[in-house]
Amino acid sequence: MIKDSNRIQLLTLLLVFYYVVLSWILHRNGFEHTESLFYSEKLKILFEFKENTLLTIGTTFPSSVFIASIILSPFGYVFAPIAASIIFVAILFYFVVFDISESKLAFKPVLLSIILLFVLHPQFVYAAISGRNIAAIMLFLYMLFRSLFLYYRTQTTYYLSLASIFLTILVFTEINFIWMILSFFPFIALVSVDGIKVSKDEPPIFQYYQALNIRSLRRKLANRTVSLYLILFLLPLAAYYLFRLLNEAHAGNATYFLSSQYANWRVTGTAPLNTILELTKGKNVAKQTQLIFQVFTIVLAPTFILSLVLFKGKLYELFTLLVPIFFFSIILINAKYYFTSEYFMVMQIIGIAGLLFFGYNKYGQKITSGLIVGVSCISILGGIYYFSESNDYEEHDLYMMFNSDKKWFGPKQETELQQMADYVASVASPETPLLIDDAAAYGIMAHLPSLQGLILPLQKSFVTVIENPALVASYMCIAKRNNRLHNTTVLNAYNILEMKERIGLKPIRVFETENWIVYSIR
Amino acid sequence: MPVCALNNMINVGLFTTGKLEQIEEIAAEFEYINIKTALNFGFLTRKEYVAFLERAGFPLIDVRNQEIDEAFVSQCDLLHLNSFLYLPLKEDNKGVLIVAAADPLDEKLLGFLEIKFDKKVSLVAASDLDITWMINKLRGEYYVKEAVFSLMRKDPMSSGIITFTDAQLIAIFGFIGVFFLFLTLYFVNAFIFFNLFFSSFFLFAIVFKLYIALKGSRYELHQAVTKEEVRAVANSTLPVYTILLPVYKEDKLIRKLIWNLRSLDYPRGKLDVKLLIEEDDDKTLNAVRNLDFPANFETIVVPYHLPKTKPKACNYGLFFCKGKYLTIYDAEDVPDSDQLKKVVCLFRKLPKDYIVLQGALNYFNKNENLLTRMFTLEYSYWFDYMLPGLQSLDVPIPLGGTSNHFKLDKLLELGGWDPFNVTEDADLGVRVFEKRYKVGVVNSTTFEEANNEPFNWIRQRSRWIKGYMQTTLVHMRNPARLVQKIGWKGFFGFNFFVGLTPITFLIYPVLLSFFIIYLIFDLKVARVLFPDWVLYISIFNFVAGNTLMIYVNMLAVFKRRYYELILFALFNPLYWLMHSISAYKGLWQLVYNPFYWEKTNHGLTKMSHSAAAASAVNANGA
Repeated sequence: MIKDSNRIQLLTLLLVFYYVVLSWILHRNGFEHTESLFYSEKLKILFEFKENTLLTIGTTFPSSVFIASIILSPFGYVFAPIAASIIFVAILFYFVVFDISESKLAFKPVLLSIILLFVLHPQFVYAAISGRNIAAIMLFLYMLFRSLFLYYRTQTTYYLSLASIFLTILVFTEINFIWMILSFFPFIALVSVDGIKVSKDEPPIFQYYQALNIRSLRRKLANRTVSLYLILFLLPLAAYYLFRLLNEAHAGNATYFLSSQYANWRVTGTAPLNTILELTKGKNVAKQTQLIFQVFTIVLAPTFILSLVLFKGKLYELFTLLVPIFFFSIILINAKYYFTSEYFMVMQIIGIAGLLFFGYNKYGQKITSGLIVGVSCISILGGIYYFSESNDYEEHDLYMMFNSDKKWFGPKQETELQQMADYVASVASPETPLLIDDAAAYGIMAHLPSLQGLILPLQKSFVTVIENPALVASYMCIAKRNNRLHNTTVLNAYNILEMKERIGLKPIRVFETENWIVYSIR
Repeated sequence: MPVCALNNMINVGLFTTGKLEQIEEIAAEFEYINIKTALNFGFLTRKEYVAFLERAGFPLIDVRNQEIDEAFVSQCDLLHLNSFLYLPLKEDNKGVLIVAAADPLDEKLLGFLEIKFDKKVSLVAASDLDITWMINKLRGEYYVKEAVFSLMRKDPMSSGIITFTDAQLIAIFGFIGVFFLFLTLYFVNAFIFFNLFFSSFFLFAIVFKLYIALKGSRYELHQAVTKEEVRAVANSTLPVYTILLPVYKEDKLIRKLIWNLRSLDYPRGKLDVKLLIEEDDDKTLNAVRNLDFPANFETIVVPYHLPKTKPKACNYGLFFCKGKYLTIYDAEDVPDSDQLKKVVCLFRKLPKDYIVLQGALNYFNKNENLLTRMFTLEYSYWFDYMLPGLQSLDVPIPLGGTSNHFKLDKLLELGGWDPFNVTEDADLGVRVFEKRYKVGVVNSTTFEEANNEPFNWIRQRSRWIKGYMQTTLVHMRNPARLVQKIGWKGFFGFNFFVGLTPITFLIYPVLLSFFIIYLIFDLKVARVLFPDWVLYISIFNFVAGNTLMIYVNMLAVFKRRYYELILFALFNPLYWLMHSISAYKGLWQLVYNPFYWEKTNHGLTKMSHSAAAASAVNANGA
């Protein structure tokens, strides 16, 4: 039995090993996620660049993932974000297995299901090895709901405070989760009535009626509700507004961390829905609308459905499980970007939490256990289906990589970004500086052995240099017109033409890849 | 049955045999004279007794204004005089020794005195309170000197009689010197460094407090002693329990005090309650004298001796204690009725190295005004979360001012309280830990009167903060020795909770001023002193620190279900400014008047006793 913590730790270590091997195989076959490279580049700037260190550390968002990457930077700048995501998933696995032993369900089948999910489910694996923020979202989301469920069970403020802390970290892992606060409103109102002395045997609606019609109870109900909201939401909201204040003070823009391509990968990394519609068939975009999206995520996460089927608990506990549905409804109101894997994992994670905390052997142990294992297998198929249908470029690329006749253990494949980085490293030096804009070229910079000889937007001189680059720089790294990030950088094909006309720049093409060109300009 | 005043009262129908039997049983256990037991254990009012004596032909003489031949008094021990309530006055013309006694009809006492002085003795009636006052004044010198100097003699390193040692003065002035040297030589860089250092320290201190509070909140529902366990305790197995009530000019609270004591669920005959009154406090003494109902405490008069502090009074009271366990309450305290039984149960359950149990303190007048609300929030998080958190970390617990329950023999072994320390309780908590004993937390609350008047609050708080400074200076005289005694964990715990608390309050207004100066005045010099990165860190530390402190205060409402107070936690920054004022006052006093005891006025609340009791009951019931 794997109930004691040493054995759970051993199992977790095995999982870490599995993910490390898998990430190594994928990496040497050319898989790199741009979000991971974005963090790598920021790490490089943080540790190798003297100017604006605080701007880098203080405004790079999501902070939680970046800070975890900083801690793991001794493993190498490129691997640090991946190591962080592996560790996040491993910690999640540890807590999930730990919670299985406390659950009312049969230990072995649930453990088997969880292992199946963590090892074979494409979205779990992708979260662990991509170096994205998905792993952190999964972990902190699970910890948030776990804390809430433990609060319901123990009624101690400790777990409520933990929930608040995890909600704060979750917001600093993906800003959209700040809207989850709104979706918490209904169940907290029900939790409040549970804490005051009304007829507990009556349905909640009558309890509420009773509480509202007795003056002392009404006052207590109102005060308790406000208290719960404050304890749960004060920290995330205060932290959010403090972060805005700091951005205002330091970068002159309160939403710099959300809107600047130098601070947040999402600004350039996620595709707006209309772009996807223009560039692809957009077969999946239609599913990202109200109701359809909720249904789609639930269908892809049958664990969630099973958690509702096997649910045994109070009404507010059920409402808590339904939070993601309200949450999706809120964020879909003004959705501009394509929702990728992390949002689909919300259902998966809350489904697991619900199963472990409120699931019971409704149909007898054998049938229930069989259902759990079966549902996990269907979940895995759902994950594969998700990737096959995804309109996100990088998720789609990964799917295509697995679908191709790739020789996984052949010679190491160098990516376009690595090739470009090799060339940049060979020409850039303090004597022959190279002008590069990390708004788009962060992937190239992440692979550079050193930042010496580069002129970057972080430097105060950048704005002056860009007016007439030939005076200072010897080379320029330009995003080609077909580059997806063409419009997010000042160093692009359009501006080269503009410089040719305005200042008579005479660029000579010295190296070129599919998306990038290096010009000699002196 | 020997003749005494109570027999005579029975004869005339003013007393009952049943009561006398109870009195004799208690008197035997405490080794008191019957009349002392009757007057101090709630059997008889002083007014009734005086009326009886006068009718019986024993008018009271005023012993405080009598000529006294000290040659006779000096032959008597204070403890014996106190137990038998007599005072030899002088010989009359016929060579008969006139002795003032609380019970002039006590033949047993008369016989004893005639043998002791080997002469004929005549007993005259005097008020037991006046006798107590006189005997303590005339024979209390040795005891009061012991109360003041005993700890200093036994353990000079733990005594606060010296506020600053030479080494500490050198260190403090050295630091100030370096501070100003750097400010003079490199003003901007030094300013930036100190600003960042103090603001980071401020944040760190608060994050640590949040951590401890969260640790403590895990034990929110833990019942160290359950109601069933309390119910199972047989009264016959309970030991004598001493309650010390140090008061000074609390005449208005004496009636409340009696009601509060009566509500304690503990056998009357096993409660050894000592009301400690200062020699110059006639107000309280007269309030006791004029009570219309029987008192359930014994009055001890503490002779005049500097420093005039509560710990000195308590140390003095220790000489008279009879209990196995001892606790301290303030006059206005309303303890949970089963608190003493819970303590007995918990001491029985815990390992022997637990020698102190701290009860939670809270306020019955919490909704009186903003200040009482803030005070309630502060006490709630401190006693409900911080102390259990500290206990779980196994670091020194700074004891609260009252409701700390001791094993009396261990308290005596520790040397009692330090009379030169104005937060003697916090100091004692550290000394307990130094001796490798432990402090536990009992799940019982004492409701006190929250200070509802700002200046009174500042007086009280300045004393507390000064006491924390004193305690830090005493125990940090030799940091290596402290580490050796309490370990690194204890060392850091102590310094964070006792040592750095005053510093946090002292730097708070400085940081706030920097912040306001920068925001309001767009001065060039401010821009030099606050480059962007400094501003970033300063804002973060300051705002995050304040937010977390507000949050910690908010946590406090949950355990006690004081939900209506939660929004008041937002006033915490203002409350901290009051702490800062108190901290500067305390610092000033530490230098100029270290042993001065800032008296806190009690009885200012407009909440009635019954409302207070109802509030307490509601809170407990919740």
